[in-house]
Amino acid sequence: MTTQIAGPTDVRTAPNGAGGTGTVFDIGYQRYTGAREGRGRARRAVYTDGLRAALGLGRGAWSKVLPWFFIGLLAGIALIMALIAGAAERMAGPGAAERMNLPSHSDYNGFASIILFLFAALVGPELLCRDRREGVLNLYFVRPLTSGDYVAARWLAFLVVMLVAAWLPQIILLLGLSMGDPTPVAYLRKNWLDIPRFLAAGLVMAAYITTLAMLTASFTTRRAYAAVFLVGLFAITTPFTMGLAAEIGGRTGQVISLFSLTNIPLYVNDIIFGEVSEVTSIAPARTLPKPMLVGWWFAWTVIPGVILWWRYRRLTP
Amino acid sequence: MSSVYRLTLRQLTGRWRILIMTVLAAMPVAIALLMLQGSAPSVREFETFVLSAMLAGSIAPLVVLAIAAPAFANEIEDRTLANLVLAPIARSQIAVPKLLAAITIAAPFIAVSAFATSYVAFLGDMTATMAVTIGAVAGVAMYASAFIWLGLVTTQAIGFGLLYIVVWEGLFSGYVAGVRLLSIRHFSIALIHGLDERRFAFGNHPSFAVILVISVVVFGGFLWLSIRRLRQMDVP
Amino acid sequence: MSGAPVIRVDGVSRWFGSVVAVSDVTFDIAPGITGLLGPNGAGKTTLLRMMTGLAATSTGTVTMFGEPVRDNPPLYRRIGVMSEHETVYGFMTGRQFVRTMGRLRGVSDLEKAVDRAIDLVDLAHAQHRTMETYSRGMRQRIRLAGTLVHDPEVLLLDEPLNGADPLQRVHFKRLLLQLAAAGRTIVLSSHILEEVEELAETVLLIVNGKLAASGGFRAIRAALNQRPYHVRVICDAPRALAASVVRLGAVDAVHVDPDGAVVVLSRNVLDLQLELPRLAKSGGISLRRVEPLDDSLESVFGYLVER
Repeated sequence: MTTQIAGPTDVRTAPNGAGGTGTVFDIGYQRYTGAREGRGRARRAVYTDGLRAALGLGRGAWSKVLPWFFIGLLAGIALIMALIAGAAERMAGPGAAERMNLPSHSDYNGFASIILFLFAALVGPELLCRDRREGVLNLYFVRPLTSGDYVAARWLAFLVVMLVAAWLPQIILLLGLSMGDPTPVAYLRKNWLDIPRFLAAGLVMAAYITTLAMLTASFTTRRAYAAVFLVGLFAITTPFTMGLAAEIGGRTGQVISLFSLTNIPLYVNDIIFGEVSEVTSIAPARTLPKPMLVGWWFAWTVIPGVILWWRYRRLTP
Repeated sequence: MSSVYRLTLRQLTGRWRILIMTVLAAMPVAIALLMLQGSAPSVREFETFVLSAMLAGSIAPLVVLAIAAPAFANEIEDRTLANLVLAPIARSQIAVPKLLAAITIAAPFIAVSAFATSYVAFLGDMTATMAVTIGAVAGVAMYASAFIWLGLVTTQAIGFGLLYIVVWEGLFSGYVAGVRLLSIRHFSIALIHGLDERRFAFGNHPSFAVILVISVVVFGGFLWLSIRRLRQMDVP
Repeated sequence: MSGAPVIRVDGVSRWFGSVVAVSDVTFDIAPGITGLLGPNGAGKTTLLRMMTGLAATSTGTVTMFGEPVRDNPPLYRRIGVMSEHETVYGFMTGRQFVRTMGRLRGVSDLEKAVDRAIDLVDLAHAQHRTMETYSRGMRQRIRLAGTLVHDPEVLLLDEPLNGADPLQRVHFKRLLLQLAAAGRTIVLSSHILEEVEELAETVLLIVNGKLAASGGFRAIRAALNQRPYHVRVICDAPRALAASVVRLGAVDAVHVDPDGAVVVLSRNVLDLQLELPRLAKSGGISLRRVEPLDDSLESVFGYLVER
């Protein structure tokens, strides 16, 4: 008995030799006839999706709270710093901000680093853990996309978000400081070197944090555990290594304090700005030779990156 | 009740987690031992650095967050909470065993760590050591109760928990004194002060009786909130 | 059978923000098997969850045995629920899971009850393996065992046959019929119309959050008398038969298929049943097959969904 569901579309019935009938319902299925783009398109899609996932776009309201709260907090702090500097200039004359040693671009990075780490810990795992938890990685790799492409696109997406979080406040601070100065143009002309400096320093921070966050996320399928582990890593190694270094002292102490993970990009930050920020001023490692500090940062960014890439290569069948 | 308790114990432990917690618990002890190589630290130094910053500030709340928040959050995410809710038992018989299981896992590590650290640092002064240990464990209980509730209430429990620990208790309480009134970390420290006033009798802390009441209220209050939530929520 | 319904759903609605999932649904459920049918997103799962007390209603009440379901834990001793989610505690063995379920539900004589439940679903051979090694069908079955271990009077099952192979389907159907014959109340939500047709005496059709139809499906079909029945007749002289059938008052329309079958549209099938053989005899036509084309749940369903 053939059962038909009556529908408004036409029905084509084709008899076959064995005595049954085959029925094709033409419900308007059409093949895709447009252009089929290749790997680059796939990579861009993964990147865009990563960007949207990190910022909570296209998801519920709650997923937007955390990332935008952090960006807002960072921008807010920069704004306050700028306003204070501006007020100081107005009240005590030009150059007062420098004289009073108010926070500058370099110091801002020191404060903001903790918040950036927290941001990366909470939002970063969002990009990698979900796909592994739901088991949809194979769906990605059916497309012209290698695992290296996938992880690179995700990494890049989060890097961009981190860069926004690192650069936007600095730009606000720059604007604030220059507006606060009675002669904005002169200020900018005098301090234009700050711009490439904070851009570079932001990149240093962002690359480091992004890679570590992504690597941690690649080890677990639950976002929560990745987040807590990262925060624990940052929040605990710092006092621990500092404490050890203070007790042991000397060269060993210096080496030990190198393992304070929150400070690693800050040493490079200091080198870029040529001045020691508040946070690193108590670290014994800051007196180590500069190439060593830069190389250390580089190692802690590139090696985790390699491990991350290698892990994802192993995950594919 | 014991079924829920044992089930939760099973769910919340794992090789890696135990390993990481052991390492974390060992860290303050290591520092205390090293600090002793030099001169015996003043109580103030010890307290501000090791206890406040490390143990109470970072290790204890993070460990408890990692254990307690997933107690309900994982079940909700995995959609297995219905197995418990659809049983003819009072909602309290679901919430309480979960809380006790979380405390059972987290407390020993923190307790041993606190005990060893202060025993070493205070050169064997039992009263001070017990004060620190009991204060630390009370802190664990309060954090556990709060984070269990948080895991029940939102899928972003870890995020909010981390914000609370790092931003509220970490940053703000350093700058804004009023925050101490709403900070479990400070309740825990105040308890330590209250338990051994001779050693820890400085700083501006509420009296022992007050802090005891507050601790019980915090612990019980979050537990009550969890039970209420279980009754009112839509279980996935 | 007792007069009072086991489950009473009265004026129940549920909305999430501005989305109405279930809209003013009222029905009673008596012992036996009731099928809950509807397209995806129709609100079946939400309705089922409200019937189990897992979800609250926005308005209206759900009562079981005269008591409210919501916030009433002791009632769960008499209810067994199987949700559509397939996750299990991977680290447990099948037996441990069923035992835990039994213990939570206060089963006396636990080991025997566990044995019985596991035998009912035919998983005795795998009960000591951890559930992460189970296939999808096995997980469904062990979950069913967990639902049955405390011998509940009422069973609420959401898509219980997801991922079951044909053998399991047969086994499961037999099991359900057994349980229903023993006086239990079973509510079954499913997309698979043939099975519900075979199992359920009563059917509840949910479309777009509203109750589109309830009752035996044949009775529903009869109630939809705006739409004519399609009856297909295979005979040796289709056009001749068609010409004579179209004269009947009971017939709305006739068409002849390319393969030679005559399809008669009629709103009065009883009269057609009487007249057709008479016509065939007087015309010397032999009838080979006469079959109703939309006497199935699927066609009722399809019709209602389209409406």
